[in-house]
Amino acid sequence: VRAFVVLAAVAFAAAAGAAELKPWTGGATPPLVLQDLHGRTHRLADYRGKVVLVNFWATWCEPCLAEMPSIDRLRQSLAGQPFEVLAVNLGEPLGRIERFLEKMPLGFPMLRDRDTAAAKAWKARVVPASFLVGSDGRIRYVHYGELDWSSEPVRKTVAELLE
Amino acid sequence: MDRRVFLQTSAAAAAAAALPWRDALASTEWRTFETVTRVEVLRPRGVSRAWVPLPMAEDTDWHRSVGSSWTGNAARAQVAADGKYGVTMVHAEWRDGETAPVIEVTSRFMTRDRAVDLGKPVANAPKLSAADRAFYLAATELIPTDGIVRKTALEATKRARTDVQKARAIYEWVVDNTFRDPKTRGCGWGDIKSMLESGNLGGKCGDLNAMFVGLARSVGVPARDVYGLRVARSELGYASLGVGSPNVTRAQHCRAEFFAEGYGWVPVDPADVRKVVLEEPPGKLAVNDPKVVAARTRLFGSWEMNWLAYNMGHDVKLPGSSGPKLPYLMYINAETAGEMRDQLDPDSLKYAIASREVKA
Repeated sequence: VRAFVVLAAVAFAAAAGAAELKPWTGGATPPLVLQDLHGRTHRLADYRGKVVLVNFWATWCEPCLAEMPSIDRLRQSLAGQPFEVLAVNLGEPLGRIERFLEKMPLGFPMLRDRDTAAAKAWKARVVPASFLVGSDGRIRYVHYGELDWSSEPVRKTVAELLE
Repeated sequence: MDRRVFLQTSAAAAAAAALPWRDALASTEWRTFETVTRVEVLRPRGVSRAWVPLPMAEDTDWHRSVGSSWTGNAARAQVAADGKYGVTMVHAEWRDGETAPVIEVTSRFMTRDRAVDLGKPVANAPKLSAADRAFYLAATELIPTDGIVRKTALEATKRARTDVQKARAIYEWVVDNTFRDPKTRGCGWGDIKSMLESGNLGGKCGDLNAMFVGLARSVGVPARDVYGLRVARSELGYASLGVGSPNVTRAQHCRAEFFAEGYGWVPVDPADVRKVVLEEPPGKLAVNDPKVVAARTRLFGSWEMNWLAYNMGHDVKLPGSSGPKLPYLMYINAETAGEMRDQLDPDSLKYAIASREVKA
């Protein structure tokens, strides 16, 4: 099944083949304080000074899994630059996330939103839901649905945020 | 109530007390479910659109949405909401020329059984703002609160004083005076004024629970329909109040709530009492059958949550649609070339809904 563009904004997005990041107009950045799979607490505020991709996902979400490798490619291509990825899982058991990562090892932190309160605060009712946060801590772009994060337009947008 | 009927009812109540479903307490454990809704617009002409309801957005202590995702070949899609009731849906659109429009929506949500103790009001019960009270007392296009609706409700509640007593009297009136009509298409549209005027009080949940809501609102008791889908078998022993397979394509079901000071929103389901009467094996049970009595007792104040709640909306205008408002959004809807497809006709709009419980 071909994954396609998902939107939760007021207006329709472009067609599936022209998926793009949309400027964020949803207001202030909600807090994000969650533990990773090892119990270590991550605070988005601690990443101030870096561009952060906050990606809400779940193992049962086919488009989420489809875009994960491209997120990792983007992260690897920006090694050494102030760019981080925080993947936030929606309320799944630790074992299920770990089994997924055994099949698809990824090099960025996996945070656990156990009660989905963070997802709701971030208006991530549909997944994948991705937010590009600028180095000043403000959300700059959003995308609902699968996206090729290693595509040129996305790289360009991220590069502009890193300037 | 005459003495003979009282004795019969009392005996039935005693018998019902011994049944497993009567004694079962509401489970406090959260359960996680997944539904997968696949929609195909058959024989598309021009631009096609589809609207798929999503789990209720607002979290409660009996229902939580986890999240949704979708795949398919739509050119565009978005989560849309009506501005009035918070009805949320996926709205997908396919270009002219797409020969096989398809969308598959996966949703996860959590539920746990719900019961309100109506024995004694509590001081910290949820409150209803004046604005919300007015909202849940207002008429809708198919649920007027004046004329024959109010006249019927006043008669039914003439001995009732409190909101709980009024709601109870209306509940009993609905159970006693309506019936489940298996010939009703879908769940019925809830045209309660026509039902009362015609004297034909047969229907399904969309009719019978709308009757409860309209009658309650007309005498000042805030009430609302909650539209949804049965997703699992009943653990309480009611074969008719659950689904027997993962295919829940035809398992739409709406329920009702009323608000009472000191208790908050109280779940009820008089339509399911009538479903037990008609369908609980061996079928066509007497109203004083112990199974019916048990269901009647249980369904005033509790819901078994083998059920997905979609929304509480009435008079829903589908975004981007040329069609008229819908009385509610509980089914899949679609249109092609500006013409709505019959949501209850699988020959023009093919859809399937599968459900499963997700175990840790």
